Amino acid sequence: MKLLRIIQAALCVLLLLPFSVGVSLASSGGPALPQQSWGFHGPFGQFDTAALKRGAQVVVEVCLACHSLKYIKFDQLKQVGFTEMEVNALASTAGKNRKDALLSAMDADAAKESFGIVPPDLSLMTKARKGYENYLYGILTGYLKDEDKAAVDRALEDDTVSDAEVKELAMLLSMDPHHPDKIREVARRIKSGDNFNKFFPGNFFAMPAPLAADGQVTYRDGTHGSIAQMSHDAVTFLAWAAEPTMADRKSAGIKVILYLIVLTVMLYAVKRRIWARIHH
Amino acid sequence: MFKSIMAWVDERLPITEVIKSQAIEYPTPKNLNYWWNFGSLALMVLIIQLVSGIFLAMHYKPDAKLAFDAVEHIMRDVNWGWLLRYMHATGATFFFIAVYIHILRGMYYGSHRSPREILWWIGVIIFFLLMATAFMGYVLPWGQMSFWGAAVITNLMSAIPVIGEDLVVWVWGGFSVGDPTLNRFFALHFLLPFVVIGAVGVHVWALHAVHSNNPEGIDLEHKDTIPFHPYYTIKDLYGMGVFLILFCVFVFFAPNFFLEPDNYIQADPMKTPAHIVPEWYFLPFYAILRSIDFLGQMSKLVGVIAMGAAIAILFVLPFLDRSPVRSFRYRPISSKLFWIFVVDCFVLGWVGYNPADAVVLGSLPIVYVGRAATAVYFSYFFLLWFITVFKIERPLPVPKSL
Repeated sequence: MKLLRIIQAALCVLLLLPFSVGVSLASSGGPALPQQSWGFHGPFGQFDTAALKRGAQVVVEVCLACHSLKYIKFDQLKQVGFTEMEVNALASTAGKNRKDALLSAMDADAAKESFGIVPPDLSLMTKARKGYENYLYGILTGYLKDEDKAAVDRALEDDTVSDAEVKELAMLLSMDPHHPDKIREVARRIKSGDNFNKFFPGNFFAMPAPLAADGQVTYRDGTHGSIAQMSHDAVTFLAWAAEPTMADRKSAGIKVILYLIVLTVMLYAVKRRIWARIHH
Repeated sequence: MFKSIMAWVDERLPITEVIKSQAIEYPTPKNLNYWWNFGSLALMVLIIQLVSGIFLAMHYKPDAKLAFDAVEHIMRDVNWGWLLRYMHATGATFFFIAVYIHILRGMYYGSHRSPREILWWIGVIIFFLLMATAFMGYVLPWGQMSFWGAAVITNLMSAIPVIGEDLVVWVWGGFSVGDPTLNRFFALHFLLPFVVIGAVGVHVWALHAVHSNNPEGIDLEHKDTIPFHPYYTIKDLYGMGVFLILFCVFVFFAPNFFLEPDNYIQADPMKTPAHIVPEWYFLPFYAILRSIDFLGQMSKLVGVIAMGAAIAILFVLPFLDRSPVRSFRYRPISSKLFWIFVVDCFVLGWVGYNPADAVVLGSLPIVYVGRAATAVYFSYFFLLWFITVFKIERPLPVPKSL
């Protein structure tokens, strides 16, 4: 039985590993994503038409300059409560008509020349990144504000970043203060004009801040277009675009599961009844 | 009218007789617990996979240029296409849940022991076929994880001495995973389920020849059996209801829970994802493969062999276990080893999910955990043999009948 004890001890160690480690792994992957509340999450969550209309406006006026949503046609917006007039108005802001797909006016070669890569299609974006909607919201809101950029410039004024300044920048950039060299390197890249984003793995990428100023989009419904508001609306729209059939899925799901519960309860009752004949 | 038609048929093909003896009056132990539901549940999922899969095949295009868009076409334009795809994807997960529980149930209650070895072997063959089918099915959406998963796994064959390199090129149909690979994987993914059906038929045939084991692991007298119908038809139906509720919760409310976000990015041979992970049901075996990394040039080959052996060892399990008692209910050491084995499989799964160079608990490279867990995995089979062949384990008294 001694053998068994040893095995049991080994087992305990193995069992505890995943729990202790989950924490340490989670904390090493950059700043935690903002946890937004998304009304369309959960079994009963549906898309809010007003948010979708605002989001469509942001996506068409801003994102579509470089990105496409190749699986979506303007006409499809009628499914989520747009009137024909609204669809036409939206399509015409992009210089298209309602039968067209949401394709960017920028062609791939031009994009490659300006940005070094072809901007990815956004049709599936909320499903295609770890963190999903919160990640996208993080990207849209994770750029440096002007005053933060000014602080970086100030820190680099004398061409060296002191240890005190490293600490300040670590807070500002949501980076690990224990890697001062990395922070100095990042600060230099920011000063040289590279696009820094708190939530992008590796921090630098080709996309300059798409939503850079409050009121960049003038909403037709009069809502104030703060960066947070525009980001939330745009991500809501992209979530719809990633799966326009979500509403059907959830409403069917509720019926299917209610039906199955009733059926299963009845099957259980019949099972009890039949098995009552057996003497154990 | 019906009776006379059936009489005419029965004279030529004894359908009534077979149904009566094999499905209605078929004697079944009266003490089977709910762990015995998972065979019929696996069969149910197999049928769900076949039906949803055939309809998916009507809308899918096995072409590297078209496949990804075809899946989105199914999701967006085909009536109830999203349901077909989510059922099929979630179905793969639930198939393995059912099959893993089914296998572990057999291991715990000694269902692989004499006279059920052939029944067990056919089961292991079905398990192999399922893994091959699931692997090739995962390639078909042609997302990043499809492509790179296929690249990593097929590349393992290059470890085979002498013919390995040529074999991989032959399997790919080119010098990398590409359109020909996708095409043949689609053909095989369509074919293999029907092979599985055949194997399931033989599995049931073998079962009906030797009859079900039971939680006591003893041979039952006739008085301790009950007819399959209505007792087990209703119990299986009830189990299916519960299982389907769980299944539908995922299909309708969390359909992407088991899918990797990377697979919603179209396959790009020029861009390797940061972290390639197989589907969850392969993770323990993937962890075993990666744990053998200390043998220099031989690591890859030995890793592949270890991974294959982790499953193939199930074939000899009936002969490793020498105890006079089948059921672990009466085997104090074996039952504890069993639960260690189960937990170890989860640990291996967790190791397989993490990047190979991950460091855990401050400074422990995860590969050490993987090596330890791999050792525990194989130790289970060794110890089971060891404690039974040298009679170290003293089984508790076993009842003669129920």
